[in-house]
Amino acid sequence: MKKTLMTGAATVALCAAGAQAQDLTIAGPWIGADQEMVEEVLAVFEEQSGLDVAYVGSDSFEQQIVIDAEAGSAPNIAVFPQPGLAAEMAGRGFLTPLGEDVADWVRENYAAGQSWVDLGTYTGPDGEDALYGFFYKVDLKSLVWYVPENFEDAGYEVPETMEELKALTEQIVADGEVPWCIGLGSGAATGWPATDWVEDLMLRTQPPEVYDGWVTNEVKFDDPRVVEAIEEFGWFARNDAFVSGGAGSVASTDFRDSPKGLFTSPPQCYLHRMASFIPSFFPEGTEVGEDADFFYFPSYESKDLGSPVLGAGTLWAITNDTPAAHEFIKFLETPVAHEAWMSQKGFLTPHKGVDTSKFGDPATAAMNDILLNATTFRFDASDLMPGGVGAGSFWTGMVDYTGGKSAEDVAASIQDSWDALK
Amino acid sequence: MDNIVGKKPALIWATHISVAVLVFLWLFPTVGLFVSSFRTGDQIASSGWWKALFPQEQNTMIRTASSDTQKQIDGNYVIEGNLFAEEGDAQGEISVWGTSSRNIGVYTPGDTADLGEDGMLTVEANGDYRLVNDTEFTGSRGERVFLTAKTPPSFTLDNYRTVLFSGKATDKMGKAFLNTFTVTIPATVIPILIAAFAAYALAWMDFKGRAFLIAVIVGLLVVPLQLALIPLLSFHGTVVEWFIALVGTPMEDNARRFAEVGWLGRLFGFAPGDTINSKGYLGVWAAHTGFGLPLAIYLLRNYMVGLPKDIIENARVDGATDFQIFTKIILPLSFPALASFAIFQFLWTWNDLLVALVFLIDSSGETTVMTRQIVELLGTRGGNWEILATAAFVSIAVPLTVFFFMQKYLVRGLLAGSVK
Repeated sequence: MKKTLMTGAATVALCAAGAQAQDLTIAGPWIGADQEMVEEVLAVFEEQSGLDVAYVGSDSFEQQIVIDAEAGSAPNIAVFPQPGLAAEMAGRGFLTPLGEDVADWVRENYAAGQSWVDLGTYTGPDGEDALYGFFYKVDLKSLVWYVPENFEDAGYEVPETMEELKALTEQIVADGEVPWCIGLGSGAATGWPATDWVEDLMLRTQPPEVYDGWVTNEVKFDDPRVVEAIEEFGWFARNDAFVSGGAGSVASTDFRDSPKGLFTSPPQCYLHRMASFIPSFFPEGTEVGEDADFFYFPSYESKDLGSPVLGAGTLWAITNDTPAAHEFIKFLETPVAHEAWMSQKGFLTPHKGVDTSKFGDPATAAMNDILLNATTFRFDASDLMPGGVGAGSFWTGMVDYTGGKSAEDVAASIQDSWDALK
Repeated sequence: MDNIVGKKPALIWATHISVAVLVFLWLFPTVGLFVSSFRTGDQIASSGWWKALFPQEQNTMIRTASSDTQKQIDGNYVIEGNLFAEEGDAQGEISVWGTSSRNIGVYTPGDTADLGEDGMLTVEANGDYRLVNDTEFTGSRGERVFLTAKTPPSFTLDNYRTVLFSGKATDKMGKAFLNTFTVTIPATVIPILIAAFAAYALAWMDFKGRAFLIAVIVGLLVVPLQLALIPLLSFHGTVVEWFIALVGTPMEDNARRFAEVGWLGRLFGFAPGDTINSKGYLGVWAAHTGFGLPLAIYLLRNYMVGLPKDIIENARVDGATDFQIFTKIILPLSFPALASFAIFQFLWTWNDLLVALVFLIDSSGETTVMTRQIVELLGTRGGNWEILATAAFVSIAVPLTVFFFMQKYLVRGLLAGSVK
């Protein structure tokens, strides 16, 4: 009797579970609120094409997509949060090239188009280079967040150059306050916010060619120019007076919690350097542009390197070839696909043809301006380095550095781990 | 010696104390999680849960109402209200306040602060405020007031509302709940069925290599299941392809399509029109069965070996076959062991995320389970602690019910075989 009941329940559940068909399946790293936003975009596509689209997000997307591809049950389209994994999967033949016409389109219609094509071009299993990844949704990393009213109360001005930013830091300390909130904690990925700092400072102390060499290890990790950038980061993060909680708390503070110090009463800090997504960790009800604002992490006036911008982005690739998947990539080329997410939150795009008045809030529009006005755009270096470095020894090395190890030692040990991978 | 009648030996006290310590160790984080599940994300970030239970002195920043609530009284523009009411229903008592982040405690309740061109602000101890200006207020945000106030504990049911009832989450939670049962129940019943037969054979039937077989099964207990995940999944893929070759009727234009197989195909994880997919309920049941079998056989065999030999020999003499002995004598007698293994297996499959991710959850989004749904609620960058705490309590409800209802079998099964 009991068994019949159980079998009955299982059968009912089965029928309920398998009742729908999808014309296009997409897997990506977005869950929660981000998932709702991407589904808005997919709804537009569903309406236009009449196809049924299913999106599945996963917080362990990087592992999941490899398992799925190995098992032959990959979704039609996968959204990669960083190019490294996509390049690896392209090399193993799991991705389908998008075709030369898509590459031409990106070159034509994206700001700094060639660099986006290069970032999405990998070597396939046959040894041929082809465009595999289509960039859509960009994150801006070179931002410093602050509370305008706290600046007003204290009489501070937004700095325009790195020299002014350093002077402001010292000014705040002289006033008996703490300038920076820095947190590197992120579970297994602890240390990544520091890699962004170093990359940003690398772009501000060295020409972009050196940065590109660093990414491919033509410029060694223990090169004095890289060590200089690490020490620049140390200027901010290794001074007890400059960081809320002291330098010792940098590595142990969770990056999701560290911006909250801006909003406490009295404020624990005045400045926080973080990417464009961070407002989702501001206290509830915080309005960007009113309660909190950002400025461009400035460059040195003395170095004449223009205004470089560090960013990252998600790229969409076909992991299971169907005509519907290609149709979807075509859809991503239309301005509507970008505007559908623009009108919501946290979306930046290098697409030159979009209507910028459609941004959901003026703050995002201002961020997009920073992106479009950049003289140099460089992709997050740690995402481009081999996984063992960019998602391994670089992270842990930065934690060691904030813990007191010297920049030379840290750089040398990261270079050792890179050599070991070759 | 201490073992005098009427006196408890010291060992008893050691047992009691260690039990008390263990209970405390388990309860302490659980209580913390429970308290946290009733707090908002901001509260969790700003203070520990142990502080949430008592009134506390806090520094906060609250904004006055915005300029669109201003009224004109006697030629002056006035904004009135209660600061605590602006922030929800919490109450409190203000000890000092200020209007600048640099100086948060310059005024006492009842004082009037001169904000220059922004007017005059008066704040009372209960949070009532009055902002007066001779020119019109502008700007969309109100004036900032920094408070040092004693606030009573405040809790919210919003987290539970989000997890259980909020529009999108509800559909998915409901579906995930059902899916988890679809995984769990067969994944509990199938291994028991197989293991009971195997355990009887290993315990009471004489055949060559029996001892070796038992050793192999004990050896399998230590093999980590992570080793087998990917090879097993590719194997499932091969089985599915064979199956199609044998019974499927692939569509003409696309031999890799599997549309015509109907419910049988769906059992393998197919939706009509899907491309080949080695993930599905059958796969996850098989995986759970395989990973659970060594422990099940080992546990049941040890129990069955301990049953009195005389009964079984008597039955044999009376002409009972092995099958009759198994169904009429062994099975009823081993009920506690069966039940305790069932509970183990149920709890393990209920809480499982890894096996479900590998063998079940595919890109169709139709086969999500509870554990995964909880991970999803955490948000892309994993910041929603309050939701995590709440979801953990929602998910724990079923295992707890099972445990309390079947507690006596669990204990009996654990002790089975150890005391003879």
